[in-house]
Amino acid sequence: MARKKVYIVADGMVTSLGAGTWTNVEAVRAGKTGVALHSGLVEDETGNDLPVMCGLVGDFKGDIDGMTRTESLAVAAVSEAAGKVSRHDGAAERRKALIFSSTKGNIGILDAAPENTAALPEEVFLDCSAKRIGRHFGYHPEDVFTVSNACISGVSSIVVAKRMIEYGRYDEVTVVGVDTISRFIASGFASFRSLSASLCRPYDASRDGLNLGEAAAAVILSDCADGASAPVVVSGGSVSDDANHISGPSRTGDGLYFAMRDAMEDAGVTAEDISFVNLHGTATVYNDEMESKAVGLAGLSDKPVQSLKPYIGHTLGASGVVETVFCIRQLLLGEVWGTPGFASLGVPVPLSVSSMTRQVRMRHCIKTASGFGGCNAAIVLSLPEYARDMEEKPLPGFRKLKDVKMCGAGDFHSFIREKYKALGLNDMKFYKMDDMSKLGYIASHLLLDGLSFSPEDMAVILQNRSASLDSDLKHLRNITEGPGASPAVFVYTLPNVASGEISIRHKIKGDNTFFISSSYDKEGMEEYARMVLASSKAKYCIVGWLEYLGGEYDADFELIEKI
Amino acid sequence: MEEIIEKLKSQIIEALNLEDLQPEDIDPDKPLFGAEGLGLDSIDALELILILERDYGIKLSKPGEGKEVFSSVRTMAEYIIAHKK
Repeated sequence: MARKKVYIVADGMVTSLGAGTWTNVEAVRAGKTGVALHSGLVEDETGNDLPVMCGLVGDFKGDIDGMTRTESLAVAAVSEAAGKVSRHDGAAERRKALIFSSTKGNIGILDAAPENTAALPEEVFLDCSAKRIGRHFGYHPEDVFTVSNACISGVSSIVVAKRMIEYGRYDEVTVVGVDTISRFIASGFASFRSLSASLCRPYDASRDGLNLGEAAAAVILSDCADGASAPVVVSGGSVSDDANHISGPSRTGDGLYFAMRDAMEDAGVTAEDISFVNLHGTATVYNDEMESKAVGLAGLSDKPVQSLKPYIGHTLGASGVVETVFCIRQLLLGEVWGTPGFASLGVPVPLSVSSMTRQVRMRHCIKTASGFGGCNAAIVLSLPEYARDMEEKPLPGFRKLKDVKMCGAGDFHSFIREKYKALGLNDMKFYKMDDMSKLGYIASHLLLDGLSFSPEDMAVILQNRSASLDSDLKHLRNITEGPGASPAVFVYTLPNVASGEISIRHKIKGDNTFFISSSYDKEGMEEYARMVLASSKAKYCIVGWLEYLGGEYDADFELIEKI
Repeated sequence: MEEIIEKLKSQIIEALNLEDLQPEDIDPDKPLFGAEGLGLDSIDALELILILERDYGIKLSKPGEGKEVFSSVRTMAEYIIAHKK
């Protein structure tokens, strides 16, 4: 049987260039940038303000009662998208879901870390924001999901949405990505020495770092193109991990290459069919180097390549969604926009980058993203007339091979150290991990003991409630009371870094996706794991709940095998 | 020199959260990075830069300089003595 085609039928966005997709498209085509110097975000060691180049949404007036600015931005993007689809008959019976994609949600509302985690306001929990946005649009709470997968969150969420529609779980899924810039985020990136003092210059020999940006963007994915003025097909999607380092990109680019290769395979296209490649292109030295290697491995070195970061900055959990919308517009317009600031190639493997707009005959494009935790994601977008008919890959059955449960409260450090010693491991890195990663590390060792598998055989699908709030509070204390931001703490302020640690230790290069929910949706996670097993090379999947906050820990892992 | 070496060892243990390590476990002449030494990596290098900046008021002039400066605790101490204001 032919596989269901998944269409993007509408989109919306708010960025530093303004509100509305068309406003943004016009601004980008006119060569404008929303990135400028802003103060009040980063201080030097003596407390002086260091202005930062970033793209902030300056004059947003869509604040909604009972919602934060971050949530209101997300609502604005979804409202724009929803307004573009004309309703068709039987719309009421369509099963609809919302996926919220964000790295840090409302973390910026915290001025200081509370003494007790019980005093945390509910809106710093990502799932709370997701449900508020969902409620605003009439979604049932059970149909609202949250993905927090570092800088691949947006592309990763589109992959999740595509699979949910392909496997008939929903008929229509709206993905909304949002992140706003606060001292929390800016001081962390500054401690990593990854911010450029000028406009970022992806792939250029003189590039010296990224610009942060804030944005909200939404896309509506649907199993039919009815009611859409210019639909595009999400024909392929894949997620992988480098299993190399939690913050340093892979030296070989193989992880991103696997994601691109599998996304093209999923779409039934080859490198020859690709019209252009929209990369992550943060303009840090190592990210861009790694991407050039992956593009080379994928056989795409001669295809037009771009990064759109100089227009609006790196918008984190929103970036994958914003840039997907930009890809759709370029496919429809037949043009590949320039990468501003690019003058001479400064990456080890040749790429076809240009600062000028190129006219291209469009069929398919690839959009990629890479992030902390070593994660990578890629999707293929196709003009409907070129989207291939693919065979359906039925959902496989699975059997549980093993499970591991550890939960409790109190003296976590003695507990986890004993577990570590009992395993007889000698790994200096263990002591440097944050507590949630230590918990996941021990649970994964117990789970995978004795199993041999090759890197792409295994996927990791995890969920928790607090994302990385425990480490977030440590980072917040560092910047408000302590010595300033510490890179070794800041790197753990993303939940999927814990799955990255597991992937590094066990050389896992399959799908890594981290969901956030108020409680463990075991059935839902198992169902999603089956979709991963059906649509990727993985034969096994670690499925679990991994939570650590304020001394209370809870790991509930199982290892499943495809049958 | 020896005083700075001892202080650096404690600062490294604290900044890098090497809980189970005692200062005397660190050989000041062994490499800090790579498998034969402490096994530090790129994030740790950033922490070492922060120790120099915060605790000694020293900024590395070029990013590439770090490799030599951070090759061992002793080379760090030598750099501090040479550059301290």
